[in-house]
Amino acid sequence: MFVFWYNEYGDVMDISKYLTVGALTRYLKMKFDSDTHLRKVYLKGEISNFKAHSTGHFYFSIKDETSKINAIMFASNARKLPFMPKDGMKILVVGRVSVYEATGNYQIYVEDMIEDGVGNLYVAFEQLKEKLSKEGLFDPKFKKPIPKYPERIGIITAPTGAAIRDILSTIKRRYPICETILFPSLVQGDLAKDDLVKKIEMAQNYDLDVLIVGRGGGSLEDMWPFNEECVARAIFASNVPVISAVGHEVDYTISDFVSDLRAPTPTGAAEMAVPNVTDLQEQLLQYQARMKEAMHKIVNYQKIYFESLKTSYVLKNPNAIYEPKKQQLDLTYEKLRTIILNNLEHSKNNFLILKQSSILKNPTRLYEPAIQNLKHVIEKLEMLNPLSVLGRGYTITYQDDHLVKNIEDVKVGNQLQVRMENGIITTNVLDKKGL
Amino acid sequence: MKKENMKFEDKIKLLEKTINELESGEVDLEESIKKYTEAMKLVQACDKQLKEIEEQVSKIVLEDGTEQDFSIEREDNSLD
Repeated sequence: MFVFWYNEYGDVMDISKYLTVGALTRYLKMKFDSDTHLRKVYLKGEISNFKAHSTGHFYFSIKDETSKINAIMFASNARKLPFMPKDGMKILVVGRVSVYEATGNYQIYVEDMIEDGVGNLYVAFEQLKEKLSKEGLFDPKFKKPIPKYPERIGIITAPTGAAIRDILSTIKRRYPICETILFPSLVQGDLAKDDLVKKIEMAQNYDLDVLIVGRGGGSLEDMWPFNEECVARAIFASNVPVISAVGHEVDYTISDFVSDLRAPTPTGAAEMAVPNVTDLQEQLLQYQARMKEAMHKIVNYQKIYFESLKTSYVLKNPNAIYEPKKQQLDLTYEKLRTIILNNLEHSKNNFLILKQSSILKNPTRLYEPAIQNLKHVIEKLEMLNPLSVLGRGYTITYQDDHLVKNIEDVKVGNQLQVRMENGIITTNVLDKKGL
Repeated sequence: MKKENMKFEDKIKLLEKTINELESGEVDLEESIKKYTEAMKLVQACDKQLKEIEEQVSKIVLEDGTEQDFSIEREDNSLD
């Protein structure tokens, strides 16, 4: 069946005049987008229906007493926000207004957002940050190390609320042997900065190993005391290492920059401050294993060394110690023997040579000339012997053993001895006559 | 300082030092046995300390400087 549409005047309707929703929406979107006023809109209002999507995009509404506009902040911009928006927060945003075709809603695409009324605070924050940075208060060389195994931890925060509960429960769970001392302090409002300074100074006298200074999340104004110069300087002056734990991961305060360690949250601060007992027990087991292993190695090494000594050639063959000496001795002995025998032989030969010499065979040769010489001398002496002349008839006259050479020596009647060749005659002097 | 009175951190440090020495292999047998025995005692002392943990009571320092025991009331949860 064919159906006709009629208008109130009874005319048949012209279908081609009708727009699709998509076409209308695209038209409206084009109108929005071509309007230069809508490309950069500065808008103030209050956040409601805030949702941070898992993709990182923020979806929310901005409203005032009379109106409301949907807003979206893409993750690329949302990531850069130094604070976490929440419902009821008064904000100033910059963005473009356009139409989202799927819903046909116009909305503001937020590029930047600050908390309303805190614009001045941002300026103050940046100025103080730059000033302290120039002074070197954030210099890594001033950062004190956080002890690994603290025995006493100081906590400066509000005595009620999530922060202190998170910190204490985390410490008790991880490392219950640690003492905790709370220095309750105001953490927001005008009086907070002086209270924080006072408690930081007070905490110096409690022999603390580490000091956690912080608070839970809140608006920038809530967290402002942690951006105060006097608080920053008190933290810098602390002799105890300070872990700052202000708000959430995205919240950065001057205290974070000046402290020795920044924790993303109060729970994080407690985790950074103390080790985990179960980790420690695991570590002790590892120590034990390493020690046993090392000891095993040492003993094994000594064993192997001992074995190598035990089986060494010298110990197994003790004669090896003296064998070479013995050999040397033999050699020396042999050498000595040869030398002695040689000497002996030599002497023997010499002896034989001597034995066979003509002199020994004919020894008269040695004294024959002497004998001849002697004979000759004897003959000569013979010739000189006065007695020898006696043979020729001469005599020698003695008187009482005195040779008589002169007749004057004797008197007549004296008895004289006359020596002849073959005997002696005794005679008396009968007369004497000189010639 | 007597070992029993040492801080936990010092005990751990001494342990690490001793183990490194043992692992270096530069300690002679007698010395290493001595060190091993001492280190084992330290490990046991640390282990005992961790096992026999007596939960420390949190303290709060009041404005006038006096200290009191402090505990978080469960009801605090409702304050968030």
